[in-house]
This record gives sequence, structure tokens and C-alpha cells, in this order.
Amino acid sequence: VAKTSLTSPPWPEVKLPDPVEEAKYHAEVVQKVNKMIATGQYGRLFAVVHFASKQWKITSEDLIMMDNVLEAECGDRIRMEKVLLVGADDFTLIGRPLLGKELVRVEATVVEKTESWPKINMRFWKRHNYQRKKIIRNPQTVLRINTIEIFPGLS
Amino acid sequence: ENVLVLFQHFRGRKNRCYKLAVGSVRRAFVKSTKARREKKRFLRALWITRIEAASLEHGLKYPAFISNLVKSQVELNRKVLADLAIYEPKTFKSLAALAQRRRQEGFLAALGDGKEPEGIFSRIVHQY
Repeated sequence: VAKTSLTSPPWPEVKLPDPVEEAKYHAEVVQKVNKMIATGQYGRLFAVVHFASKQWKITSEDLIMMDNVLEAECGDRIRMEKVLLVGADDFTLIGRPLLGKELVRVEATVVEKTESWPKINMRFWKRHNYQRKKIIRNPQTVLRINTIEIFPGLS
Repeated sequence: ENVLVLFQHFRGRKNRCYKLAVGSVRRAFVKSTKARREKKRFLRALWITRIEAASLEHGLKYPAFISNLVKSQVELNRKVLADLAIYEPKTFKSLAALAQRRRQEGFLAALGDGKEPEGIFSRIVHQY
């Protein structure tokens, strides 16, 4: 059959590596990372956490401010469960989409519960004698991230 | 009310004369309310340009990067991806590699077996 423009796909031909060798390589990497976590050869950890319908990139001793109310008193310790990503200098653990609770532990304390600065909502139509002014104060909570810990539980 | 404080930082006679300032303050409030809604769109566009630049450094275009990440069930939003691209280059490189690998697997899956479909006898039509 003659070669037309549709005989070969428009993308360059791709060859994936051998699955058996790949599985061996993956197991090696997992073992290495497990050892590193177990011996504690990581410096500062950062994590991506899904909290208050937003995603935050956090490290320890971090301050986070949310634009809503948390049902916890000031000084309460909170454990954040929806962790999407954890990383250190030499390795990262990417969750699909979340990481297990036995792998990561993110602790935070509620520092402050205040209101935001008075924001002004104004609507004005010219030549129609229409203006409305509203001052909005949102409740805000400030959290401080105490620690991010990882445990060697990869497989 | 403490209206005087509000227009101290304006330009020209608007920061001194009340009559001129009233209109400017009104417009400033209205613009700020509208801008609060536009800020979300603006920031998202900014994150997208940043992620595009970073993924091009690793040899991937933005739509390929994002679509393959989503197909690999990695639900990171653009804000966090932009922050990772700036502050954690190694992590972003690994994410780009993951997206590239998923893209290649997608290409192979699209090709299928490589056999001709049944019921078609030739692609060349002879005009007699």
C-alpha cells in the first residue's frame, strides 16, 4: 500500500522501555527512598495540602490565613488529612490524587481568629442617582503549620 | 466620616479639594469591587503563563502537560504548579517527566494493534 499522509501518525514514533526491567528499576528506587526516609536523610519537607477548598504549598513554621471560620478554638492542634504532594531535596512523593494517612502527617495549630479589614462594596450608575455602599468584614482564621512528618511505608 | 483619609494618596487637586475628591472616591470604590472579581481571572492567566514557560523548558507544551497530569490523577491546581515551578524545580521536572510518560502511553494506546481494520480491501482507487 502506498504511503499517504495518514499511514503514520503525526507524532514521532515512541518506544517504551521493557516492562520487566522497568519494574526492577522502580522497586530499586522505592527501596532507596524508603531507606532515606527511615534513616532521616532529608532536610526541610514541603507539602501540598488541600484545605478550606484551596491548595496550599506549606512547610513547617508556616503561617496560613483562611477566609472563613474553623470550628476549633485558638490553640487547638489540627491534623490536615488531604495531602497531595510531599517533597524534600532529593525525592518527592506524588499522590494520585491523595497520599495515604499512614505516610504523611501534617500538624497545625489555630493561632488567631479575626475579621478581615473592612472591604467596601460599592455600586454606582451615573446619571441615575443610584449608589449603594456596603462594608464587608470576613471572618478569618490564621493557622501555623507545626510539623510535617513522613513515615517509611512505600511499596 | 473619615473621608479625608481616603483620598490622601490621589493625584492632583483630588487629594485636597472635597468636591473633586467625592467623584474620584466613588469611582475608586466601584473599580475596586469590580477588580476583586477580575483578580481571580488575572491570577489564573498569570499562573498559566508561568506553568507554560516552565514546561517548555522541559520540552512539553502547556495543554499536553496539564491534560496528561489530569489523566494520571494528579489533582494539583495551577497556583500550586506555578509555585512549584518557581521554588521546587526538581519536583516540577519530575511532574513534567510523568506527564511526558503518560503522553507516550496515550499515543501507543491510540495506535492500537497496528493491523488494518476489517472490511476495507484497499486504499488505492483505480479510475477506469
